[in-house]
Amino acid sequence: MAKILGGRRRPNIIGGLFGWIWLVIILTPIYYMVLASLRTQGDYYKDNPLVPPLKPSMRAYRLVFENDFGRYLLNSAIVTLGAVAILLIVTLMASYVIVRNRGQVAQRLFRVFLLGLAIPAQATIVPLYYMITKMGLYDTLIALVLPSVGFGIPITVLILVNFVRDIPGELFESMTIDGAGNWRTLWNLVLPLSKPAVVTVGIYDALQVWNGFLFPLVLTGKPEVRVLPYSLFTYQGEHGADTPAILAAVVLSALPILAAYIIGRRQLVAGLTAGFGK
Amino acid sequence: MLTKKRAVLTFTAVAAMTLSMAACGTGGTGGDGGGSNDSASVWYVSGAPKETLWKDQFAAWNQANPDQQIKAEVYANDAYKEKIRTAIGAGNAPTLVFSWGAYGPVAEYVSANQIISLEGKVDEALSRTLDSVDAAGVLDGVQYAVPNGDTQPVMLFYNKDLFDQAGVVAPITTWEDLLASIPKFKAIGVAPFALAGQSKWPDLMWLEYLADRVGGPQTFNDVVAGKEGAWSSPEMIQALTYIQDLVKADGFQESFGSTTADSNADVALVHTGKAAMILQGSWAYGSFKNDAPEFVSAGKLGSFPFPSVPGGKGDQADIAGNPSNYWSISSTASAAAQEIALKWLNEENLDAEYVDGLIAGGAIPPVEGIRDKLAASDDGEFLTAAYDLVLNAPNFQSSWDQVLSSVAAQEMLTNLDKIFNGQITPQEFAANMDKTINQ
Amino acid sequence: MPDKAHAPGAATSRGRSGPSPWLAAPAMAFFGIFAVIPLLGVVYFSFMRWDGMSDMTFAGLDNWKAVFTDSTSLNAMKLSLVVMIISWATQTPVSLLLGVFMAGKQKYRAVLSVLYFLPLLFSSAAIGIGFKAMVDPAFGLASQLRLGFLQRDWLGNPSLAIGTVLFVIGWAFVPFHSLLYQAGVRQIPASMYEAAMIDGAGAWKQFWSITLPQLKYTIATSSTLMVVGALTYFDLFYVMTQGGPGDATRILPLDMYLTGFRSFQMGKASTIAVILVVVGLSLSLGLNRLSGSSRMESQMEGL
Repeated sequence: MAKILGGRRRPNIIGGLFGWIWLVIILTPIYYMVLASLRTQGDYYKDNPLVPPLKPSMRAYRLVFENDFGRYLLNSAIVTLGAVAILLIVTLMASYVIVRNRGQVAQRLFRVFLLGLAIPAQATIVPLYYMITKMGLYDTLIALVLPSVGFGIPITVLILVNFVRDIPGELFESMTIDGAGNWRTLWNLVLPLSKPAVVTVGIYDALQVWNGFLFPLVLTGKPEVRVLPYSLFTYQGEHGADTPAILAAVVLSALPILAAYIIGRRQLVAGLTAGFGK
Repeated sequence: MLTKKRAVLTFTAVAAMTLSMAACGTGGTGGDGGGSNDSASVWYVSGAPKETLWKDQFAAWNQANPDQQIKAEVYANDAYKEKIRTAIGAGNAPTLVFSWGAYGPVAEYVSANQIISLEGKVDEALSRTLDSVDAAGVLDGVQYAVPNGDTQPVMLFYNKDLFDQAGVVAPITTWEDLLASIPKFKAIGVAPFALAGQSKWPDLMWLEYLADRVGGPQTFNDVVAGKEGAWSSPEMIQALTYIQDLVKADGFQESFGSTTADSNADVALVHTGKAAMILQGSWAYGSFKNDAPEFVSAGKLGSFPFPSVPGGKGDQADIAGNPSNYWSISSTASAAAQEIALKWLNEENLDAEYVDGLIAGGAIPPVEGIRDKLAASDDGEFLTAAYDLVLNAPNFQSSWDQVLSSVAAQEMLTNLDKIFNGQITPQEFAANMDKTINQ
Repeated sequence: MPDKAHAPGAATSRGRSGPSPWLAAPAMAFFGIFAVIPLLGVVYFSFMRWDGMSDMTFAGLDNWKAVFTDSTSLNAMKLSLVVMIISWATQTPVSLLLGVFMAGKQKYRAVLSVLYFLPLLFSSAAIGIGFKAMVDPAFGLASQLRLGFLQRDWLGNPSLAIGTVLFVIGWAFVPFHSLLYQAGVRQIPASMYEAAMIDGAGAWKQFWSITLPQLKYTIATSSTLMVVGALTYFDLFYVMTQGGPGDATRILPLDMYLTGFRSFQMGKASTIAVILVVVGLSLSLGLNRLSGSSRMESQMEGL
């Protein structure tokens, strides 16, 4: 009787059917996009869109790379890594304080951060635009990093605090007896023991920043600071009728996350549902 | 004190890291914004032939003037309109600000002191261009903008093959004939008109012409003058009704709401034989030439002015469109950058070489005494006809969305979209728009 | 105690009161400057008149009056509500059933689950642009297949556009929610099903009497995310329709953006933003109370 769930006496036909139908819904658009991106513009109009092209063409992909795809990818990577690095450093420090400091300040701080969970970041875009321009940061990558850090802090602190709490108090005490300062404790005890949470929440934060659209749309203008999702939109504006090229850009934009998925599927899924999937 | 000191140190380190990234970011953007060094910048809108001409022209300038560089960026039309204003508001305007004349948006830049007066500084540049076109760069008697490209009357382009097949005779000169041609085109399975409905501004060309043909320039001038209820004048209502008649008669391609102009998908419908006509600016000729050279060289592309309407008060020689595109100079640019920009405007803007390039690309330069040159070009027939259209027009109406304030322009484009989709009546349109007057 | 934390001989004082609160200062600074100040700023801006370029002036309640009398904004509120209800009502059953399906131990279900993940590889912008190219009546899938019934003006027709975008939203977000349900189902103790089978309960009865009640908290979390998340849909709508045709898909966040950055009425845009914040906050707190879940996680706004 071990295999209860699903493994019932008779195969679940309705369930199976449902599963396969959903697969078709999920796969058809992706399958179509990949095939279309491998056609020349001429073949695209002639061929049956659901049959793989006889002679796959790399023209669309070449075109996308000639249109600075590499630079946009790099910009996205800089913004994402920059934001996540700052986020993890400052929130790990804060979590250590919140868990170990018994003062009033630390606990109040935690409550303030928790309230921040419910702020919808995009609703603050007008004041953010105003602040970023006054700081002289409009049209820079840093303009994308700073607010991403600000709005990433609540959820990151919450998850890290829950994890750091599980570190036994004796370990902290023995560090103190050894004469370790804050930094050594943070570096030699808190970081190694909370690594799984750091990875998970880091992935979650990275996905949020990587996929961001409104901040780049409002806070940057020039092509040289364009990030990937926004570049897809401008690309569509400039090459609207070249469907294979647009779809090639869309497909390419998914490859970095696909690579992450293949390398660390479990971590990515955990990161994606960080904080929700208990 | 050790811990506190260390904490402060870390904070300083993070802050320093942040700042150094900021410096990195801004370091790479030198030349923009306040013009941190001695170079100028320019943004312009994509589209053949000017895009390539400017690219080459600025490249040549930068080669010849190593210490007076001009950094150029290209944007698609819609993206440009969305970005320029936020960049100016952020103090990051390019030195040379691209526009559609000294109305709506440019008037807003002027009142916020974002662009400088060019009075007396660009006489050399202005000496090359038509006075009537220069005039659209003047606001309250001050020259704020200089024409920088072709003059762009809007007209009807048509596919001659499809006219022959359907048995329709060009030019169509009256609204009745225009409506009568619709069933003939539908009989051969093509759409009478292509329309880039998703871009919204192409919708506007229909209203600009119909309002003029029904009531003359006064119809829209009343709106500009802020006359109460100007949008609900009988003439405006009639023009809007004509539009809905045309939509109801299936005048436009099916699913025009999904067609965009930035990508030239509307022009493509005509040269691929899916639609017979298109109402577009003269720049569409350049798009035809660029996207379907054999279609143009085989003489399959024709054009004619917008027809008259029954009992209309407007002169059929009136045109709508853009007298030209324009350049202004940002007040936030450094003195050095402004100087480079002025030098460029006076020496290079619309110079002989550029004018030749425009002509070769099928565009009409707004300069004096080039009729013979136009006639001798590959596209002589089109270019001379369009040039004469501009020279002889009693009224050249600039695009309404560039004349009105940003608020009114957005409201107008949204409501006009609803007119084309049959979501509102002309009266509802008028009521919604009347609220924007003097707002 | 606070002075002790800063007293010399940090090691001993830390033993009692823990690390210096200063370690939290950088996080506090980032959060304060780039989240709290903009949030307060949005309230301030809602009482100001600003075109993004000229000087700001005090507007009193003008923006508030304007928003609540403007047919476009009122329509946007109605539309956001419709989007919220429909996306919740359609995505929840699909995600739940998929979650149950994916939690099954059969090999083929594990393989399918991997494939179900694929939409999550794309950003919303990428999904919107991909679908937009695909449903284009002139250049998209249907025009190639010459399938008349598919060759509709999916995004250009006012009555079809909202449904099309809702479908794409479902395509994009159901995979995420089904992951939540999968995790939820896997935590239901197998012994409960064993007991039910001994009682002779069929699959259907098991689903209603065990699976569904046991998923209570997952349903609450997922529903909160969906409902509050519906207030933050922006990317998909922006890239697919820009709110058009007319204002048929101009939902509230888009209305805020277009008012602020197309019409340059920053004050009015901020007023809409305040409404978004207030509605979002009350919804997440309200739903939280309703479901009896005290976990703050479920208040996190959409993905």
